[in-house]
Amino acid sequence: MSKKIFAIIWREYVTRVRTKGFIIGTLITPVFMAIAFGGIFIFALLFTPETKKITVIDESGQIYNKMISMLNDTLKGGIPEYEWVLYKTDTVSADSAALHLQRMVMSKEIDAYLNIPENIYTEKKVRYSARSVSDWEELAKIDRAISRIVTDHYLTLKGVSPDSIRAVFEKGKIELITHQVTDEGEVSKGSVSSFILTYILAYLLFLLVMIYGQIVSRSVIEEKSQRITETIVSSVKPVDLLVGKVTGICLLGLTQLFIIGLFFLLASAYAAYGFMSFGINSPELMEIMNEMKFSVPVFGFLLLYFLLGFLFYATIYAGIGSIVNTEDEAQQAQMALIFVIIISFFLMFSAAKAPESTMAYWISIVPLFSPVVGFARVAVTDPMLPDGIIISVIVLILSVIGTIWLVSKIYRVGILMYGKKPGIREIIRWMKHN
Amino acid sequence: MKILEVENITKKFGDYVAVNSVSLKAEKGKILGVLGPNGAGKTTTIRMIMDIIAPDSGTITFNNGLSKESMKDRIGYLPEERGLYKKMKIDELLRFQGRLKSLSGKEADRRADMWLERMEITDWKKKKVEELSKGMQQKIQFIGTIFHNPDLLILDEPFGGLDPINANLIKDIILELKKQGAAILFSTHIMESAEKLCDEIILINKGELILSGPLSKVKEQFNKNNILLDYTGPDGFLNENAMIYKYNNYGNHVEIELNEHIKPQDFLKKIIDRVEIRKFELREPSLNDIFIEAVGKKNNGDRV
Repeated sequence: MSKKIFAIIWREYVTRVRTKGFIIGTLITPVFMAIAFGGIFIFALLFTPETKKITVIDESGQIYNKMISMLNDTLKGGIPEYEWVLYKTDTVSADSAALHLQRMVMSKEIDAYLNIPENIYTEKKVRYSARSVSDWEELAKIDRAISRIVTDHYLTLKGVSPDSIRAVFEKGKIELITHQVTDEGEVSKGSVSSFILTYILAYLLFLLVMIYGQIVSRSVIEEKSQRITETIVSSVKPVDLLVGKVTGICLLGLTQLFIIGLFFLLASAYAAYGFMSFGINSPELMEIMNEMKFSVPVFGFLLLYFLLGFLFYATIYAGIGSIVNTEDEAQQAQMALIFVIIISFFLMFSAAKAPESTMAYWISIVPLFSPVVGFARVAVTDPMLPDGIIISVIVLILSVIGTIWLVSKIYRVGILMYGKKPGIREIIRWMKHN
Repeated sequence: MKILEVENITKKFGDYVAVNSVSLKAEKGKILGVLGPNGAGKTTTIRMIMDIIAPDSGTITFNNGLSKESMKDRIGYLPEERGLYKKMKIDELLRFQGRLKSLSGKEADRRADMWLERMEITDWKKKKVEELSKGMQQKIQFIGTIFHNPDLLILDEPFGGLDPINANLIKDIILELKKQGAAILFSTHIMESAEKLCDEIILINKGELILSGPLSKVKEQFNKNNILLDYTGPDGFLNENAMIYKYNNYGNHVEIELNEHIKPQDFLKKIIDRVEIRKFELREPSLNDIFIEAVGKKNNGDRV
């Protein structure tokens, strides 16, 4: 390795870091991610629910009153959640009432209607009809209320007081508090927050590796198509050019990661103020925000896995760049690679759920998947290190070295080959060639 | 003084022999023409010298005691396939190229300024490569090749794509560097420019060395007893079969190739009374003739 490698690194870094594309990309990414992740919360909280008008046909005549006394919550702003109306079926049949209510639902006079059958205690089927039936929360609420009324009915038949039974159930309620066992004893840890943080950071890792891998590929293709390569390799060894190029672009990625990381640090510190200034004051959200903290080892592993994962993938991307002549040709080969990275992203979900499983263990050792999956395991089990993570890092380091060695053999021939795209056999011959 | 000595290098790509046992040497203050038709193996030979690809056999020695790696800093190489980073500014690009030749950034800047001045493109220094004309880009490329004062200069078709004025400018600088003691390897398939510039030549065809030596010696070797004759009157003198090997008659101008042992002097004596001679000229073969003959003969030989 010579001093010249620094000139290569400098060129790759400086000529890119000041481009408009990089600056805009760096500023937009955190904003975009903030919108994507924070926005979900904000919109959910800013969303003002409205009173729902539901008309009930109660053929049994025993459910309606009890039900509306259970479903009488008020919404934010003091308005009731539901506006109930009982449809009188004294003079009309239930079928024609339903027909009438159908039209009212269609003309949006009411939001839904319920049809409670006469023999509700034996039939146990209630019809809910609305323009959309996707609000599972509301359906569950109504289901729960009517079920309780029916249950109470049978409890009373058995000569048991429903209230006393409920009191018994209330007494038996427990709360499951999640604690994580670590070297330094147990710490309480929310399962939701650690998963969200892992997801965000793994996504970042995946995105950066993919984007910067393609920059490497494009850079090699540029040198080839502009016929620059030969001038460069007459001064430096091809392997130095390869390593310098990948390193320079890696530094570019780290710069972006650093800026985005800084943004997150600031965001998580000031997010509470931000939410409050929006008039949002949700204790659940605050709890999640408070638990979403960068711990030093997690951040260290994020950097380590980014570095190694990037070097691993970028070297392969450089190899792809060297065997093709145009970006169009490169795209096919890159698709396969992107596919592999996406698979590792899906594997990450299972690994984050069961970080200590045998499958998660082995997947985090496979170098193609270990950057994203290995990191996810570290983030979820933080502050403990999951089994095999050191092996995963060592295997990844060895893979990086092996990949550089292997790809440099293809690279030094490929960068000077123009014209026809070589087949697998020819590439193998290049690798054997001295 | 020899700077570079190449002995019997051979390179095969699969079954295809790109270069077969080629030898050459580059000397201080001399221009060696590496000639040959397209696809002869010139570029492959140069790439082996530049350590871009390794020869299968043979040796490449630099006779100034430098290793291959440090020698790279003492070579200026202008490949035939050449280009520049389009998005870089000229001054940055030259500084980068200087650093690849182990110049300090400052020194590279200083030399770049000097050469940009000389090439009259100083005003373009802060511009990006893509804003320059093709000719200007060629000049920048040339500066990048020579501005670290190489001991060995390897130029692969350096005049390709240049207009006559710029070609002349580049030619003058090449001769200047030669005078300062650089050994120059000049690869081309354009014989006219080789003939004017080269002290020695080697001719490669189909990977094999078919000719080498000082230009004057090569010409002597190919001197064929060729006569150009302008005449008036009957052409009966052309029936001197004992003397003439072959001729090409245009009516009042004839190109004659005499048999090997016949002196032009004796031929002139023989015909002087039989025809009215207006012009009698002994013709030296041009490098172009030599090229065509040597390459043609070789190719015919291959076919037999």
